[in-house]
Amino acid sequence: MKIVIIGGGPGGYVAAIRAAHLGAEVTLIENKFLGGTCLNVGCIPTKVLLHTTELLDVLKNDAKELGITVSGYEADWKTLQKRKTKIIKKLVGGVKALLKNNTITQIMGTGVFLNDHQIKVTYNNNQDEISKDEEVIDFDFAIIATGSKPVIPPIPGSVHPDVITSDAALSLEAVPESLCIIGGGVIGCEFATIYNAFGCKVTIIEMLPDIVATMDRDIVKPLKDKLIKDGVEIFTRTKVESIKEGPDGLAVTTSSQAGEKIVTAQKVLLSVGRKPELSTLELEKAGIKTERGAIKVNQKMQTNKPHIYAVGDCNGGVMLAHVASAQGIFAVETIVGIRSQIDFKTIPYCVYTKPELAGVGLTEAEAREAGYDVKVGNFPMAVNGKAMIIGETTGLVKYVTDAATGEILGLHMAGPRATDLIVEGALAIRLEATVAELKSTIHAHPTVGESLMEAAHAVNGEAIHLMR
Amino acid sequence: MAKFLVMPKLGLTMTEGNIANWRKVEGDSVTMGEIIFDVETDKITKEFESPGEGIIRKILVSEGTVEVLKPIAIIGKADEDISALLAEAEKAVASPVASATKPDAPEPPKAEQAPVKPATGGRVKASARTKKIAAELKIDITQVTGTGPQGAITEKDVNEFAEKAKTAQPKISPTAGVIAAGLGVDPGQINKDGRIMKADVLAFKQNADFLKYADPQEFTKPMSAMRKIIASRMSASQETAATVNYNQRVDTTAMKQLREELKSTAKITYTDILVKILSRVLLEFPLLNSAIVGTDIVTRNYVNIGVAVALPDGLIVPVVKFANKLDLGAISTEIKALAEKARNNELETDEITGGTFTLTNIGMFGMESFTPIINQPEVAILGINTIIDTPMVVEGQVVIKPMMNLSLTADHRVVDGSVAAQFVARLKELIEKPGLLLL
Repeated sequence: MKIVIIGGGPGGYVAAIRAAHLGAEVTLIENKFLGGTCLNVGCIPTKVLLHTTELLDVLKNDAKELGITVSGYEADWKTLQKRKTKIIKKLVGGVKALLKNNTITQIMGTGVFLNDHQIKVTYNNNQDEISKDEEVIDFDFAIIATGSKPVIPPIPGSVHPDVITSDAALSLEAVPESLCIIGGGVIGCEFATIYNAFGCKVTIIEMLPDIVATMDRDIVKPLKDKLIKDGVEIFTRTKVESIKEGPDGLAVTTSSQAGEKIVTAQKVLLSVGRKPELSTLELEKAGIKTERGAIKVNQKMQTNKPHIYAVGDCNGGVMLAHVASAQGIFAVETIVGIRSQIDFKTIPYCVYTKPELAGVGLTEAEAREAGYDVKVGNFPMAVNGKAMIIGETTGLVKYVTDAATGEILGLHMAGPRATDLIVEGALAIRLEATVAELKSTIHAHPTVGESLMEAAHAVNGEAIHLMR
Repeated sequence: MAKFLVMPKLGLTMTEGNIANWRKVEGDSVTMGEIIFDVETDKITKEFESPGEGIIRKILVSEGTVEVLKPIAIIGKADEDISALLAEAEKAVASPVASATKPDAPEPPKAEQAPVKPATGGRVKASARTKKIAAELKIDITQVTGTGPQGAITEKDVNEFAEKAKTAQPKISPTAGVIAAGLGVDPGQINKDGRIMKADVLAFKQNADFLKYADPQEFTKPMSAMRKIIASRMSASQETAATVNYNQRVDTTAMKQLREELKSTAKITYTDILVKILSRVLLEFPLLNSAIVGTDIVTRNYVNIGVAVALPDGLIVPVVKFANKLDLGAISTEIKALAEKARNNELETDEITGGTFTLTNIGMFGMESFTPIINQPEVAILGINTIIDTPMVVEGQVVIKPMMNLSLTADHRVVDGSVAAQFVARLKELIEKPGLLLL
């Protein structure tokens, strides 16, 4: 069985390895960098920068209280960039080695469909060890995993060397004096945190009523408070009308109910969303249908051509690396005839700011919208022992449950290690746990995780460590 | 004075009849001419009318076949002594043609016999060791069925019970468990290999509710005599004949026109015209008008055309005898009379036998084509379909024509394809040019 996978990101390379496990003859085509957006210009590099940001925040705000007097420290952007590159290189090398170890044919080049059973690959120039320029590859099955690219909104002036997207924002030569971020979603808030910590004046402009609109309001609030406290200016319900070159940098004209306002910044970051990257595939030659710019797939990740699958961002679903990987595994297992499943209810959403935000399942608003009789259990980080010890008492744990059955519908957290702890909620949802199981599972003490058990107790107003 | 109600003799050839559909029960009063039950023969179904006034004192035969003039029930006054009649009836009904009892109904399912259990609270017959094992396994020993001497519970019984209890407990997610309890669903009833999840419980409940709402029921009743005959004749025909189906579209413009022209004089139907045409053509193609007797083929110099008539509870095929000697008017009159008799259950045996070919018309229901089954011992049957205005090409022009399909089924044992095809072609010719009948 010959499987060709186009795209070496977390959807494609994970699918390739799984397919190799299952005995398929796998070819992986990647036109830029193994590991895709995630490893190279997405999840991993942003988190490298954010980790340093987090430490800077401790040094600046908490060191004294923690008993450390620090003088003469410096935020070193250049060294951090080197560290980032080193980590990426190591991880990409790891992916490469894994693919090799699984005897997967790796091709660095661009794949173009000739028809629904052949792909022509044009090799990248820098592949000096390969003598030929192009090759036609026959396949029994194909998995498209070409990912996504940032959306450039149709704002006048949005094409300018100083108007950048997340790709460039990760590796600016130097930290700009000021940055105007258009789009206060996950990416926008993470970059706001990074650049603000490095001494840049950051302004966020968001069209919606609040930042990070997809997450539960109760956990977004601590983040918003912290950003504002740290000096980030946030304008919500505000639209960007134009970007122009002015005497002191770029002039971003915004409008809102309060009227017009001009934000001046050295750089403007566009983070209004991402869209599927399908530009090089020539899908029409294989007869693959798209819908609103994304490859149309069914629940099995099959395109209208049943032997061609599309996983990850390119199918326009939830654009997260872990979802792409899950879909990649699922597609391969479906191809070889294993009856597997993906439970989309268990997708965790994470924001690596300070405090970290994480959510899984339904938000309180979504659960009410869906018609549940909702019961919520909140537990504040402020009374968690471990949170106090590490000096991160901002945030809370919030369980959203169904009053009728006690079923866990969602878990939402803001606070230390929220992105690591969210898995408990995902597992609870996957196993259809109720409040009773979460209460009766013994949680280690002292940990931040204890707060999850307490929040479960709080659903019935019975949190042990809360005043009645 | 009390008297018997007897099986009526509805025709000269009638020897027995089937009783069905009682309208009355014992003790009901009836008036003169009131319908009491139905009598079915192989030809007809007739409602039995009360010959007088009185009370149904006794139903002697509630269902089944009874010889003609044999007693079926006793009618009389409420306080009359009917013992003499009853004694007489016993002799007469002692040997009915068929059993007059109800048809075998499946026995109602017996409640599954509960295993013998020692009464809770009573003394449990088990050794101390067995009781200890049960306690260790956390088993309620009173629930265990003993297989030892005098129903004593053995160690083996306890172990098996424990094993069963373990496997009987279905794996279920906590939420699914809560929902199942809330909905009153027994998770043990859910058929799933893996862990039972919320969706499984909801689907089970939905299906159970739907079943309750749909309330599926099946109703069994014995076939009427006519239905039995149709069933056996039709399946026998399919087993006997080597059938081939032929379809031919014909233009009915001329036939329609003919009918219009005759309208003021006589109300002629398409069936009448087709019987007329068939009676001519069948003589030209004797094999289609033949019968197989052993290894002989019997052909005729006459044509008897059966015309299928639908009845509420079946169908019957009265026969237009010697149609080849009848003019269109006579054929029309005959068919109308036979159809009327058929609908009134008044056909005599000789009116439904002796056919040499059958015509069946279901065009009035909009049918465009079908494959009729040959009425044995004939060798062919012609099905008539609906007339549809159809665009046809005539001399390079599209013209709307009233087209109709002829659906012929013929027995290949005697009628080869070429013969059947030529027969149909000739029918088409005469249908499209009925003036040729005058030649």
